Amino acid sequence: MALRELPFRTAAALCKDTRPAVRVAEPLFRRNASSEAAREVESSSSLEVPPPSEELVKGYDPLARSRLRRRGNKELPPSRYQYRSPKYYRGPLHPHQPPPESDPSSRLFQPGPFSLPRLEQTYQSTIAADLLTLTYQHYPPGYRAPKTDQRLRQWTGDSPYYKNRPLRPPRGKGEVLRLLNEPRTFRNIPKITKVTLHSMVPEAQENSAHMHVAGMILQAITNVRAVSHKARHNVVGWGLRQGRYVSVTSTMEREDAQDFLAKLIDVVLPKIKEWKGVPGSSGDGHGNMSFGLTPDQLALFPEIEVNYDAYPPKMIPGCHITIETDATSNKDARLLLQAIGLPFYGKLND
Amino acid sequence: MNAGQQTTRRLAVRAGQSICRSCRDTISRTYASAAAAAVQTEDSISQHIPPVTQSSPNTSYGVNAGVVLSRPPQITRDLHPFESAFFLYQRRLNERLALPFTRYFYFKKRTPADLEWKRKMKQRLTPARDIGRYQGYGEEAWNDEVLVGANESKFEWQVEKLLEDAEQSGAEPGAADAPGMKKVERELFDRPKPRVTEADETNDTKSLNRALQRTLYLLVKNKEGRWEFPQDKLREENLHGAAHRIITHTGGENMNTWLVGHVPIGHHQIDYPEPRPTEKLNEHGAKTFFLKARIMAGQVNLKENKLGLQDFKWLAKDELKNEVDGSYWRSIKNMLTER
Repeated sequence: MALRELPFRTAAALCKDTRPAVRVAEPLFRRNASSEAAREVESSSSLEVPPPSEELVKGYDPLARSRLRRRGNKELPPSRYQYRSPKYYRGPLHPHQPPPESDPSSRLFQPGPFSLPRLEQTYQSTIAADLLTLTYQHYPPGYRAPKTDQRLRQWTGDSPYYKNRPLRPPRGKGEVLRLLNEPRTFRNIPKITKVTLHSMVPEAQENSAHMHVAGMILQAITNVRAVSHKARHNVVGWGLRQGRYVSVTSTMEREDAQDFLAKLIDVVLPKIKEWKGVPGSSGDGHGNMSFGLTPDQLALFPEIEVNYDAYPPKMIPGCHITIETDATSNKDARLLLQAIGLPFYGKLND
Repeated sequence: MNAGQQTTRRLAVRAGQSICRSCRDTISRTYASAAAAAVQTEDSISQHIPPVTQSSPNTSYGVNAGVVLSRPPQITRDLHPFESAFFLYQRRLNERLALPFTRYFYFKKRTPADLEWKRKMKQRLTPARDIGRYQGYGEEAWNDEVLVGANESKFEWQVEKLLEDAEQSGAEPGAADAPGMKKVERELFDRPKPRVTEADETNDTKSLNRALQRTLYLLVKNKEGRWEFPQDKLREENLHGAAHRIITHTGGENMNTWLVGHVPIGHHQIDYPEPRPTEKLNEHGAKTFFLKARIMAGQVNLKENKLGLQDFKWLAKDELKNEVDGSYWRSIKNMLTER
């Protein structure tokens, strides 16, 4: 109670003071969880505007009008009505600036979203609230989290160049700074951020057809342009030669990712015979989970089944699926994936 | 420490008795000078252990456990007309900007499937099956807006078009097939079930098949005739044990339920006008802690309930508002989902 009263009292005290009351008005607009939300700014919706009159609707045919105009050679001067985004960015001082990416006239514009995916709706209505309940950690009032000390190493020494230098990462090869596990609130409920498909085809070093088939399959499945990657080093054991193209990936976000996961979970995985689930050892400790599909499992995707004959059967690759979430631990990420319908088996990696 | 912070603390001190000690501590701690920090480290360590024992055991509240048993939404929600118009606009825009459909990768030349594709393309002008008759390339590609009263953006219309595409070959009804051509095999499929069920039409609030787009919550009528979530006094058990017991005592064994977590998601407090004496304590009121549960299968059966319940209903959030008391609604409304 006292906590709530404080701002009012502060405001009253400020009023009594001779100092100008800067934030007097603020407490009036404060909203508690129990009070009603502010009403909408616009009282009427533009959708409630009555539709145009009957004859206006009937007589409106934009195609016929345009054809009539073209027949009479009375076309609108194109230069005046068509805008073209500049092909090159010439700096912020150039008078011809490109429009923002969200503008359809921009060269970088990408249309979308095209739908509200079912998985997204389920997440919003059911999964998010359940995850919050499941991972909630109660701290009694008065609890203050112990302070985390500096995890980066200081530069110790006499050198004057050590001043204001960025701190050093942990010592040792392969050591990384683990993510902090913040207490769960409604703001940091784990969600799926990206899904990456990765297909390694070392045979492509001899015959590039493998690479083309893998790329086509990945594009068909994911609806995203596939990106090919070169081998970075010579690895004799795997037959890799530096600089040769060996793998393709495609990275999905938002709607594509949701659609892909829904398809995978509801259509493909149930069709696989004796699929045990995602291995419990999966997870990098930073909220990303991955598992693999074999070539004949990959062929079960409806996009490939529909024209299976178009792909040379020996060249269909397997792939790895990495689901990236913004969870900060394996446990939370696994909870999220279990909620959307991916089972785990074996020893769990925590 | 600057002047503004000092003022806040001074004001807080001036506010006097109405500030609880922990808040005052927080304020003074936050703005404490660095010199005092060394002294305070010992304080802060001791503060990790919160005070558990209460100084006055006489004032106490009865503790109840309640269960918010819900059925999550079963189908996607209806789109707002603006949303569906926006999605159609984006799809047509995509039709203009995307690379053309690679036809011969999917249909071999001079096959029945290829002929069917040609017929269908002639009718709808675009590879997409659910955006209506629209051509993304050419002179008239600018004409991507639908006219007043058009159905293209409606969800039902789009579903209908997809089904039509799956079950028809695009040929004229009277036209005979070319001789020697193989027939394209069509997959048989079930039409989707209607999104509005029989229970919706009769407004059967006891049915779990009603309002498939919303979350339904179990509301029961207790001994006094008040509508509320099933609840009971806590016995010698923990909260989630009590929740399991309440579920079976309310709805019988014929329910498959899942308790979401072991922590309460909300609470409701009632204060009695007169303290009621129990064995040792004076109860000044009762607090109900709600646990969340989901129903997977089955239905509530009140016939053998042990809590003296008279009736039950499955209600969505906004329907629930009209059934419960004002104060009860205020304490439960934030733990229920909008949809």
